[in-house]
Amino acid sequence: MTEQHNQDSDLSATDASTPDEPQRSGLSRRAWLATAGKALAGGAAVLAAPAFVRAQGEQPLNLGLLMAKQGVWTEQGEVIANGVKLALDQAGNQARGRRVNLLWYDEPNPQSAQQNMQKLVEQDKAIAVIGGTNSGTSLAMSSVAMRTKTPYIAPNAAARELTGSSCNPYTFRVLSPTPVTCRALAPSLLAIGKKWHFLVANYAYGQDIQRSMSDLLKQSGGTIVGADVTPLNTTDFSSFILKIRQSKPDVVLLGLPGGDLSTFLKQYAEMGMKGQIPVACPIIGDSDLWSINVDAATGYYGKPWHFSSPGLSPEELAFIKQYTAKYGKPPADKAWIGWFTTRTLLKAVNEAKSTSGADIVQSLETVQMGDSSGPAYFRPWDHQMLRRWTVFKVKNHITDKWDWLNQVSVVPQNTADLDRLYGTRQEIGCTMAAR
Amino acid sequence: MAEMVLSQVANGLVLGFLYVLLAIGLSIICGLLGIVNFAHGALFALGAYFAIALSTQFGWGAVVLAPLLVAAVGVLIEVVFIRRLYGKEPLLSLIVTFALSLLITALTRLIWGAGGLPFSPPEALSGFLVYGPLLITKYRLFVLAATVAILVALWAFMNYTPYGRILRAGSRDPEMAGLLGINLPRVLTGAFALGALLAGAAGLLAAPLLTVTPGMATAAVMPAFVIVTIGGLGSFAGAVVAGLLVGVVTALAVQFFPEGSSVAMYVLMALVLLVRPRGLFGERWERFE
Repeated sequence: MTEQHNQDSDLSATDASTPDEPQRSGLSRRAWLATAGKALAGGAAVLAAPAFVRAQGEQPLNLGLLMAKQGVWTEQGEVIANGVKLALDQAGNQARGRRVNLLWYDEPNPQSAQQNMQKLVEQDKAIAVIGGTNSGTSLAMSSVAMRTKTPYIAPNAAARELTGSSCNPYTFRVLSPTPVTCRALAPSLLAIGKKWHFLVANYAYGQDIQRSMSDLLKQSGGTIVGADVTPLNTTDFSSFILKIRQSKPDVVLLGLPGGDLSTFLKQYAEMGMKGQIPVACPIIGDSDLWSINVDAATGYYGKPWHFSSPGLSPEELAFIKQYTAKYGKPPADKAWIGWFTTRTLLKAVNEAKSTSGADIVQSLETVQMGDSSGPAYFRPWDHQMLRRWTVFKVKNHITDKWDWLNQVSVVPQNTADLDRLYGTRQEIGCTMAAR
Repeated sequence: MAEMVLSQVANGLVLGFLYVLLAIGLSIICGLLGIVNFAHGALFALGAYFAIALSTQFGWGAVVLAPLLVAAVGVLIEVVFIRRLYGKEPLLSLIVTFALSLLITALTRLIWGAGGLPFSPPEALSGFLVYGPLLITKYRLFVLAATVAILVALWAFMNYTPYGRILRAGSRDPEMAGLLGINLPRVLTGAFALGALLAGAAGLLAAPLLTVTPGMATAAVMPAFVIVTIGGLGSFAGAVVAGLLVGVVTALAVQFFPEGSSVAMYVLMALVLLVRPRGLFGERWERFE
């Protein structure tokens, strides 16, 4: 707009003036005023448009998105948002025959996440919110969801409390919680050996992995030969790797978040440990692998979805094709989780009786999202999505630029065991307040 | 156990050299210009990103240009921003360089993306050596050698070249240097560029060891500040000794008290400051008194 009117005024100035004309500046000012007036009128028309649309009863639906735009979670936030936007595009940016607006705010820390969610709900009248790159901000948003009675889906939080002791009727979670990912991974590792060395990051996620995995290890008669807690955002793991070398375990069990995991793998390979002692982490993101060199990649990992898994559905294949065309690389698991979460929400909104919070929640409780992995649905009593989980091993010889993983197992084998894998009411400890 | 301690100490010393390189540039800018440069970490990250960009475009040999490019960025920053801060309140330089750090990090993210970029040591430098309990990777040994070479060159430059003498004189007594006919603004630009060059060199050398992300700036800058504080502002020997100390103390903390390994260097700093507030090798400088 600004550039436009500058150009216009320049043009009129040269048209209307000769060097000795005294009114030159006046003319140009008049021309400028005319252009500015036009611009203002145009702006007013744009501003007036929603009112016009509103009059026709087609007020757009606002969907809230709270994903990191700065800090260590930026990349995850960006990739999840890419998936969300693609799902909306595929749906023609429509739900219930109305236009859907996506409003994306930042979540730099739990407090700001809450403030921004409040803003989405109160100021922007968002009918539902998808948000949280991590458990900390997700738990914070969850309490706002309860207070404001707004349907909220956490796509990427792993902390068990979210659908456990801190569960509430307005909060739903898509990612499998840590205990589930541990149960899925443990059998592959116990088959290798029963002497484990733990290396976990010093916060909820790492401690949760240590707790869940050491229980599983003890149950099968294994021993912990070393356990180290690393500060979050550790830049050098060499001293920790020396301790692993010293304790000579069968398996190194990692509980490290994205960036730390990449750094660890890089230095593990640098110190000649790759191929000596297998490493494993219950959850990994594709981006974590893609940020290290092929020759440093190794280990066993869990993921909710992988773009080259066998038997993908036509919808999933279309998603992969469109995403790759748009972003120049296949969708990482985080892109998928954004896409899948948004599809789930849109389906629930379409099937709901109305756009009220209570009706959307009721619809989310019954929505069925089965895909190539089998059934997928939110369990009504804790709002955890039940869906099969996949364990992968890094290929021995990587030839593709992006596809580094071989599928090891899909858990549970029998989808009838889904409910048991995700834990009983007693294990979960969720007592849902009244809606 | 003794073997393990030995192995950790050796590892910590090697890591310490990387810290020294990080801190020395910061120390120079602080000592010569009196600027607390919060953008040092961002320049460090820039060195890593330039190295990756150059090596993918022109092959391995081109990475040596990365620090020079960072120095060029340093010149630009000095002329546009830093120049206006000399002799002003320290708080002002802190705020401006902090903003610069955010700006550079955001630009890095815009250009190269928020995710990490893969970068490994060249073939010739990968692999590791084992001597009894000691395990040292070839690349870390190379970093050690490169750091020592850079330090020697820097020391020679400061003490045996006219330019180095002018730098030191100008930072001690700008007025007198000006009266002697020295073009001080240009000297100060050079000093800042030198600091940036060292940050870039550290970034280049660290890139194959760490994960290269826009966030590496923040992770790197804290140890650098701690080391400069422990060693004493503007002191070469101080930065070297403090860097190695921090490396060893961190490594030993990992061995005996892993949860506290990130706090260890701050405890060390607190102890040193209690005993000797101006740092181990800090001199009495008129401008800081």
